[in-house]
Amino acid sequence: MPELPTLPSRRKVLVSTGVALLTAAALLFGAILPAEYGIDPFGTGRLLGLLALGQAQPFGAEGGEYRVDSAELSLYPAEWVEYFYRLDEGSSMVFTWDATGPVTYNFHASPDGAPAGYAESFDAQDSEQGHGTYTAPFTGIHGWYWENVGTEEITLTLTTAGFYTSAEIGRARAAGYKDLTDIRGNPVPRVP
Amino acid sequence: MVAGAAAVHAHPMEGSNAGFVQSVDGPAPGPFLYLGAKHMVTGYDHLLFLVGVIFFLSRLKDVVLYVSLFTLGHSLTLLGGVLGGVSVNAYVIDAIIGLSVVYKGFENIGGFERVFKVKPNTKVAVLVFGLFHGLGLATKLQDFMVSENGVVTNILSFNAGVEIGQILALTGVVALLTIWRTRPSYLSYSFATNTALMVGGFLLAGIQMVGFVLFS
Repeated sequence: MPELPTLPSRRKVLVSTGVALLTAAALLFGAILPAEYGIDPFGTGRLLGLLALGQAQPFGAEGGEYRVDSAELSLYPAEWVEYFYRLDEGSSMVFTWDATGPVTYNFHASPDGAPAGYAESFDAQDSEQGHGTYTAPFTGIHGWYWENVGTEEITLTLTTAGFYTSAEIGRARAAGYKDLTDIRGNPVPRVP
Repeated sequence: MVAGAAAVHAHPMEGSNAGFVQSVDGPAPGPFLYLGAKHMVTGYDHLLFLVGVIFFLSRLKDVVLYVSLFTLGHSLTLLGGVLGGVSVNAYVIDAIIGLSVVYKGFENIGGFERVFKVKPNTKVAVLVFGLFHGLGLATKLQDFMVSENGVVTNILSFNAGVEIGQILALTGVVALLTIWRTRPSYLSYSFATNTALMVGGFLLAGIQMVGFVLFS
């Protein structure tokens, strides 16, 4: 390993390491913590006006029509169903769903103009319920896939509210869903 | 630190979900290659460490040797970590990566000789820190991967992407250092530069430690 022509003195090394540590600490506690996390131990965040950066915008206006929808979906074991919404980019909705038994679910979305079958998945788990908010990252269809992974028939109750323009069953492999069209108006392929 | 994990990403999924997502089921070398390269190019923790490593390496041969050791280290833990399902707390590992930058800056100003009267083997150090950097990469990569489908392809793609990103970033760093090295300011400011490197390392480590306290 090549070296400095003249190695700095021990004192110089210690001073510079100390200065480095103090500088980093000053930046961390003085600016980064106030701006990123709203933690302001020395009041510098307030002084420099950094605190506002750490606060989420509490209010966001949205266009489009506000609507509320509910659905009850029944699934025998191993059956699955998809439920989709059409949202424009930036539009959001609040959701809550509860199933009477265990389901595996996947929340995914397909942008308009994407190749057939393409989807981006945002959340996939086994659960009996889900509650939260969703803001569409792009214009397209967005929604859940639920599959009954238990041994009993279940009912899933879904309620959503938000700025979407449609809400309906996408497709299904389940006895209870016949002669459906999907959200794009095509006949739903019934998977036996 | 480097939140490589975008909120949105396509990922492979399993059989019965097939209906909707069949086209992204399984190996996706392109996206993972890209994610690996992006993680490296935008990952200033890795970049700062590499700047420290090659700061005093004037011969290309040495640059290649040290970078290869670093690559060997991080590839081992990246591949082993993901395939073995090893998940380390991201804040802890990123704090260690920050401290690796401090270590390198301290070493570059001759800290170990002057303060501790020892001279650690620089090749071993770069290999060991490579292992930690790889563990950090493995932790990030597991954020992208939900499915086991195509895991080997995806992980190798990610690793290849990391190396591409590293070469891209290093090309720039080596070029700048080579130009700077010909000027007198290089030696007069090398002490200050490595002190600045330590500031950066302490800062990265500090941010991660705070993150650990707040969110873990």
